Amino acid sequence: MKEEFLDCMHEACPIPLLKALKKLEQMKAGDLLIMKTDHNCSITNVIEWVDKQGHKMDYIEIGKGEWEIYIEKVVSDE
Amino acid sequence: MNKLYEIVLKTPWPYWIAGIILSLLNIFLLITTGSPWRVTSGFLYWGMGFLEKLGYSDFTGSYIELYGGLTAGETFLLNTVSILNVAVIAGALLSVLISNEFKWKKIKNAKQVAFGITGGLLMGYGAIIAFGCNIGAFFSGIPSFSLHGWVFGGSMVVGGVIGSKILMRYMV
Repeated sequence: MKEEFLDCMHEACPIPLLKALKKLEQMKAGDLLIMKTDHNCSITNVIEWVDKQGHKMDYIEIGKGEWEIYIEKVVSDE
Repeated sequence: MNKLYEIVLKTPWPYWIAGIILSLLNIFLLITTGSPWRVTSGFLYWGMGFLEKLGYSDFTGSYIELYGGLTAGETFLLNTVSILNVAVIAGALLSVLISNEFKWKKIKNAKQVAFGITGGLLMGYGAIIAFGCNIGAFFSGIPSFSLHGWVFGGSMVVGGVIGSKILMRYMV
């Protein structure tokens, strides 16, 4: 299991989502992606997209208006 | 109390709830001011007000002369759209302050500035020739039964796809 980190501080929509999309494509099942963002829209759109893809995720507010999003890549065997 | 704060002020509201509230507010705005919600024309008024302050006053053949917009007693700086635009910013500020998420954002790099300025100029120019932005042309255009709202909506989707591809190529 590998751990990847994405610094999305000071970036506006939809850059954090696009960055996550690109990064997740290169990752393997079980890998963990940690994103740091200060854009509250990311809390909505990244999480919505990740959820739709079926990956596992969680997020915490690490400071005033700053979040860390944890995404574990899940590959369904369809 | 803590749970209520968490649900109402901390977590984002579902799109459908926000949509219903926005449409009710737009109906209220149409009834009270005679015009549905607009945003960009306010910035156009500010630009023209600025030109007026510099001594330029011949707006013959301009957008405003051709399509009007201001009602009696309104000026380029003080009008319904101006007040609404300031109120939107004040409301957004209030919302982040209440949810304790207010933060001064730093500029990331020169590329972000260049993309921001170019994008802003294109959006401003595009919004005026399209008779509004996604609020005036789309959100208010469609319920006004104007065909241009639908054309705007379709073009917005195409533009969004192209824009994402450009971002993906140069910014991500």
